[in-house]
Amino acid sequence: MQVINLNRFLVAATMGLVVALGTAGCNPKITRVSSDAVTDLSGKWNDTDSRLVAEEMIQDVLSRPWLNRFSRKSGKVPTVIIGTVRNLSHEHINTRTFIRDLEKALINSGEVEFVASANERDEVRSERRDQDLNAREDTRKAMGQEIGADFMLKGSINTIIDAVSGEQARFYQVDLTLIDLESNRKVWVGQKKIKKTVEKSGFRF
Amino acid sequence: MDKVSIRLTALLAVSCLLILQGCTTAAQKSAGMRQFLEQGRPDLALVEVEKNAEKEGDVMENMNRGILRSMTGDYQGSNDALEKAKNEIEALYATSITKQAGAVIVNDEAISFDGDRFEQVLIHAYMALNYLAESDMDAAAVEIRQADVKMMEWGDTPEEDPFMRYLAGIIYEALGEDDEALVSYRRAVEVYKATNDKQGLGVPLQAKKDLLRMLAKNGLWSEYKQYRKELGMQQYQAPNDKGYGELVVVFNNGLVPQRQMKAFQTYSSELALNIRIAVPDYPNPPSYVNQVQLNVGPVEKLLEPVENLDGLARAALSSDMPVITARAIARAVVKKKSEKEAGDRGGALGQLAMLVLNTATEIADTRCWNTLPQMIQVGRVFLKPGQYDLKLNVIGRTGAVVDSITAPVSIVAGKKTILNKYWVAPRPYAGNVAGSNQTAAAPAATGVTSN
Repeated sequence: MQVINLNRFLVAATMGLVVALGTAGCNPKITRVSSDAVTDLSGKWNDTDSRLVAEEMIQDVLSRPWLNRFSRKSGKVPTVIIGTVRNLSHEHINTRTFIRDLEKALINSGEVEFVASANERDEVRSERRDQDLNAREDTRKAMGQEIGADFMLKGSINTIIDAVSGEQARFYQVDLTLIDLESNRKVWVGQKKIKKTVEKSGFRF
Repeated sequence: MDKVSIRLTALLAVSCLLILQGCTTAAQKSAGMRQFLEQGRPDLALVEVEKNAEKEGDVMENMNRGILRSMTGDYQGSNDALEKAKNEIEALYATSITKQAGAVIVNDEAISFDGDRFEQVLIHAYMALNYLAESDMDAAAVEIRQADVKMMEWGDTPEEDPFMRYLAGIIYEALGEDDEALVSYRRAVEVYKATNDKQGLGVPLQAKKDLLRMLAKNGLWSEYKQYRKELGMQQYQAPNDKGYGELVVVFNNGLVPQRQMKAFQTYSSELALNIRIAVPDYPNPPSYVNQVQLNVGPVEKLLEPVENLDGLARAALSSDMPVITARAIARAVVKKKSEKEAGDRGGALGQLAMLVLNTATEIADTRCWNTLPQMIQVGRVFLKPGQYDLKLNVIGRTGAVVDSITAPVSIVAGKKTILNKYWVAPRPYAGNVAGSNQTAAAPAATGVTSN
């Protein structure tokens, strides 16, 4: 009796081990979700935060008096260049995601124009220089014809974190400012505050 | 021999072979890497560590990859590895129930390594220094803030790392945030006082000077006078640094000691038997730390120790020792009982097989971040703007220069130039003085003792 039981146990154990090791190498589970589904995994800055910031800023910037004031004074649509958005927070945050969303919404609304930022225009300028040498006369784009921006968009992200062992309260504040390039006047300030609490469990398997 | 005992023996023999493969201590596995470092060849040490590529998420591997890549100039790669280590430590926050159980059955290496507290905080320091090497000041400040939150979570002063606070002060000062820098320097001085028993450095003179200078810069004169008296710096006068730039050199000197296994016999009253347990230990006394002389422009001064990692590592181990020893004794009891079980089932052969298995798996947990330096030394100099050739002379015990590191530095008025250098042993190529016995690192000790 003892022998049979031991045999069965050994067989069962080996089978169990084989199954466990075998399934470890199987394909991971992938689920496609919509790009605006909320997926909070670690409590850190994620795409939902970026989307909330972009939505708030877009809605705010187009509804403030600076736009009309500028159009009335100069008779044209304002031109904006993107400056630096400083990361003064506790995380390595990619600020480009919500800045790009803002850019896209404003350009597509037709009320604001953008020119290439300092990082982007180096490539454009070197292409123009290349055209000067290599392109046909009538298709060459002349140097010195860039449009000077009227406003610069700058900003910063700040965080306040309160923590005890296992629990954190994270507060993010994103500030964006439009500065008149001629007079240094700040014509618009947008702000978005986000707060999250994160609880880590004390035990796991 | 009946069928039961044959099967049992076969099972135990197979598991013996499987488990024995993994029963070298972490100290033995790292010996090759540390040997390369002690020969002044971090590039070969990096190759050695990169061989363990399959240990993708392992904290210790990534910590070591981080330092070694930084030593060889791959700052981006270093930060990638350290970021992985950081994320893994975050994931290991919760205590694993099954792994703790495993530690009482096999050995302490069943528990995933997540570093001592000082090691976890220093990840941020090295990431910040890497970002500074890539001139990304804002990213370095992010790391400082993360370290601040980490230390906030722990709560008590003795667990704070004074070098982290001091580095935070340097970085905030470099960003022009003088009020933040003052808070950090003040905290650094307080924590240096509180951790004096662990580090034995007192409050470094440079830290005292920086606190007083920052107080003067922020115009807090009554506090300035109070601290001047308290720190014994009555002769100090805040310098007029208008038009000057500052050079800050952070020098990582030597290697932190390697934990070795110490096995010994002790009596268990529960079993009324002698049992053999293995615990980690630092068998050798601290090695000699070379002085480093800074030569730049008209200035010649010695770098000052600001963090004694040797002391911190020993203190961390001795505070963990009661728990480690208790667990080792519990484990020995469990193992002895399992031997008795095996003996009842499979006779003398079964008991012997179990005994062999238990002895082979009884290894101490010698995992630690073993590419950290033994001592971090700092030197700060105010210089007129311009290009300079910096020379760092490492001075041996006899007073002769054993190695020399040169680097071109450019100083800009009102800005800080922060350099991070590593040195373990005289490098075997042109520029160092021939000398066979002037290394700073301890000889690699084989710490596996037998019964």
